Parts: sequence; structure tokens; C-alpha cells
Amino acid sequence: MTCGAPLDVRAKVSDSGWREAPKLRDMTEFRFSMSTCQVEGDLVPVAEINLSPQDGVYFEHHVMLWKDDSVPLSSMRTAGGMKRTLGGMPHIVTVANGPGRVAFSHNAPGELVVLPLHPGMELDLREHAFLLATHSIQYSFVRIKGLANVLHGGSGMFMDRFVTAQQPGLLMVHGNGDVLERTLRPGEKIMVEPGGFLYKDSTVHMQAVQLPVKAGLMRRLYMAEMTGPGRVGIQSMYVHHHAGE
Amino acid sequence: MNAYTCRYCRQPSDPSQATCPLCGAPVDITSVVSESGWVEQPPIRDMARIQFGQSHVQITGTRVPTAEFTLSPREWIYFSHHVLLWTEPRTGLANMRLKGTWNRMMAGMPLIMMQAQGPGNLALSDNHAGEVVALPLHQGQSMWVREHRFLCATGNVGYDWDYTGVWYETRNGDDKETHYPMGMYGDTFTARDQHGLLLLHSPGNTFIRDLRPGETLLTQPSSLLYRDMSVRVNLHFEYPRNLGFAFWSNRWSYRNIWIRLTGPGRVAIQSVYTPPEECEMISNHSYATRRNW
Repeated sequence: MTCGAPLDVRAKVSDSGWREAPKLRDMTEFRFSMSTCQVEGDLVPVAEINLSPQDGVYFEHHVMLWKDDSVPLSSMRTAGGMKRTLGGMPHIVTVANGPGRVAFSHNAPGELVVLPLHPGMELDLREHAFLLATHSIQYSFVRIKGLANVLHGGSGMFMDRFVTAQQPGLLMVHGNGDVLERTLRPGEKIMVEPGGFLYKDSTVHMQAVQLPVKAGLMRRLYMAEMTGPGRVGIQSMYVHHHAGE
Repeated sequence: MNAYTCRYCRQPSDPSQATCPLCGAPVDITSVVSESGWVEQPPIRDMARIQFGQSHVQITGTRVPTAEFTLSPREWIYFSHHVLLWTEPRTGLANMRLKGTWNRMMAGMPLIMMQAQGPGNLALSDNHAGEVVALPLHQGQSMWVREHRFLCATGNVGYDWDYTGVWYETRNGDDKETHYPMGMYGDTFTARDQHGLLLLHSPGNTFIRDLRPGETLLTQPSSLLYRDMSVRVNLHFEYPRNLGFAFWSNRWSYRNIWIRLTGPGRVAIQSVYTPPEECEMISNHSYATRRNW
């Protein structure tokens, strides 16, 4: 399984250790299982999947841009039922099975992040950020605990959790703007604007913390404190969680 | 004496670097100038560094660039809290109070600025696809900036804000509404006792131009990004000639509301803007010129 990242460019790492997600070149094609994915465009990239008969992908239905008429669609019920509905998350995700072509795009300038998951990995993702996942990846959600996290965490009530058991899988994420990733050492902390959080390894602990500075007349500033070990991904464009001020 | 002057930030610079160390503009490119004289501001290259004092800022990303600061001890910057993307816990954050709380609140401007003091790292980004524009200011230099375009400034740059004085009123029956097409207030930044650095976020692409004394230019009010203090601004209304196809409609449905910029001085515009609403008759306005075609 590959991720389409260009191999002939240097990794772009900032002075403080954030690595830019590799920019997928227009028309980059890579394989997963017996299928292929081609990334088209640059500003709002499209992921065009050519599914083989034994493969399938699932996604939130509103990200499907076009499909071959012959590609069958089905629904995959998710655990959590009413709780997900109340949390504003899709109760049902859509599954497309091969053979045939189907394409996906999100609705904002940004970039596609391809995350191949090896067996035994767990990744938490900001809600509504996932573009698609292969059928070998288990999809569930984790409730964000603590009232402060829910009210001030900026990530809603739930995070998507993607788990691989015995089989590897491919997860594609749309990040708004530019996407940066950093690997935290055990116990290392970084404060992230909650709206900028995109994904993290499940080993990274996330906690909304109040900083001793004001963000308005009656409000304090909250940030998401990430504690390692593990990867943290952020996006540079986001709806600020206090944008309604 | 350094003979090289960066053509974008207009400061004495170092041509041996790949990018201007003061504003991040690429040094090794040909200037892109349109036939009408607009110079396209080249985007700051990914991972380019801009030096100020003992600290520096690194621009990461190209779609919605992030300004990542490495602050040395005793150096500080200030910004609006909503652009803070991440910070290290050791970076000292504090509030910076501003005058005119009520007026700023009524105008939708941030009430409280934050300041970050080194040592430490932090990053700022705005919420639009566009460019970061770096404006090094020499001692005593001031720059007017449209509201909400400010990303951050170094601690030695003074911040003030003032009424733009560009407005018009529309009336519908007894309802009266005041419009501020380039914002109710504008920001003014001044390098006080030494040179400083001002960073702006410009949605879309950025173009700059130098106006000669008395030279005028019409532009969309919300496209103005920054201007020298010597450039004057006023409203301009333009009414196209009615060719008969609009006899059923009001003439003002087709009007253009511009701002007229009068030199001398440098102006910069952004390619993303919101045209003024054009639904009602204008009943009163600030000083304006008018053209009926």
C-alpha cells in the first residue's frame, strides 16, 4: 500500500518540528489493495477511486462528487445511534463497492492527507473531516469526555475513531488550508487551537484547558492541550470555535 | 552601505539570500507587472524565514499560510486571539487592552489583543485561502491597514485605529441604514523608536502599486489591503447610462460604488473582496465624487 507522496522532494519541517503533509501532485496515482486512487486538482483536490470487485470504501454521503452508474451503493449503520444524531454526526455512512469508479471531494480549499493504517493502529479524527476509508478499517467514535472539553474543545461531542485489526487499510482525510503534523514525545505537550485540530494517534491525550488570558469581555481563552506520545495533525484554516462573538 | 533595496518591502536588503530576510519576498524572480502597472506581490515561499531583532518568523504552507514564530527572551508580538493556531506552554501569553472598547465592539473589531513574549514558539494563521504579507516598517513609518487584515506586529510597532470617514446612507421609507464599504474603522501601525515588522493576511492574491502625486485610481472598497498614510481616500459613485433596458427598475440598481485613491504613495489590494450592496437609493454620504455616463 502506498500514499502517493512525492519521493523526490525533501520533507518540509519547520524550526519547531511541524512537518508539512506531503503535497500530492496533480494526477498522482497510488494503489491500495487491488484498487487505485488518483488525486486530481490542487486547490480543492478530488480523490478518484477505481475500485476492484473485491474492494469497497465508505464515506459520508455528501462528499461523493460523481460515480459510475454501475457502482453499487449501500448503507453502513454505525454504532451509537441516537447519540451520534444528537452530536450532529452521520447516523449512517455510505458504502461503495467495486467494480467501478467513484470520486470524492470536500467543499473547501485544502489538501488530501493519505494515511495508510497498519494492522493494530488506532487514529482519532475530527468529526466530518474524513473523506473515505477502505472497508478493512473499523469505524467507530469516541465521546469527548468532560463538559469543558465539549463546550470549549471546539471538536464537538465526538471524534471519529478508525481502527485496523488484522488487515491494513487506507484512510483519506481532507484538511482545510495546509496540514501540518508533529510527533510528540511521551509527556510532551503542545497547545492547539481547538478548531485547528485534525487528527491524532489514540495515544495522544487531548484536554481543553483554560489559559489565564481573556478572549473577550467575559471569556477566557481555551486551547486543546495535546500530550504525547503520538502524532498530532492540524489544519491551518478552521472555523474558530468562538467565531460567533 | 548596502545598495540593494527589496522592491516589495522597499527596505535595504541582502540580494545574496534566496528570499528577502526582512519581508520574505523571493529575491531571484522577475517582477510580474501588469500592463496597467500593478505589481503582483510574490507569495512568501514555503519555509522562508523573516528576521526581526533576535527572533524570526517562518512561513509554512501555501494555501492558508501559517506564521510560525521563534521568539527570543524579552521580544514580543501582539495579535488577535482568534488567529492563534498553536503555542508551546512556555510561551508567555497575556492580554493587551485597547482603547475604545464600546466603539470596537459596535464595529465588530476584536476587543482584546493578546501578546506573546519569548522565549517560546507559537504559530498564527487566518481563516482564508490567501497570502501572508510582511511589511517591515522603518523607524517613524506608518501604514494604514483595512480592518480584520492584521495578523500580528512586533512589540515595537504602535497600534492605533480610527474612523475611516467613508460611508453612505440608504433609505427605504422610514428605514435608514448606514453603510461602511471599507469598514467603519481602519488600523494604523507605526514603528516608534526603532524598525518593526507588521504581518497581514491577504485573502486571494495581492497586488501593489505606487501612485504619483495627484494620480487617482478607482477600486472596490473592500479590496484595499493597505496604503501609505499619504494616499487620500474618498467615495466615488458611478452610474452607467441607461440604455432603455432598465426602464422598469431604479437607476441605482446598476450603480458602482468605488473608493477613489489619490497619490502620492503605495497602495495594495487583495483579489478577494465583497462588493457593496446595491439595493437602495443613497440618501446621504461622506465626501464623494460622481460620474453619470
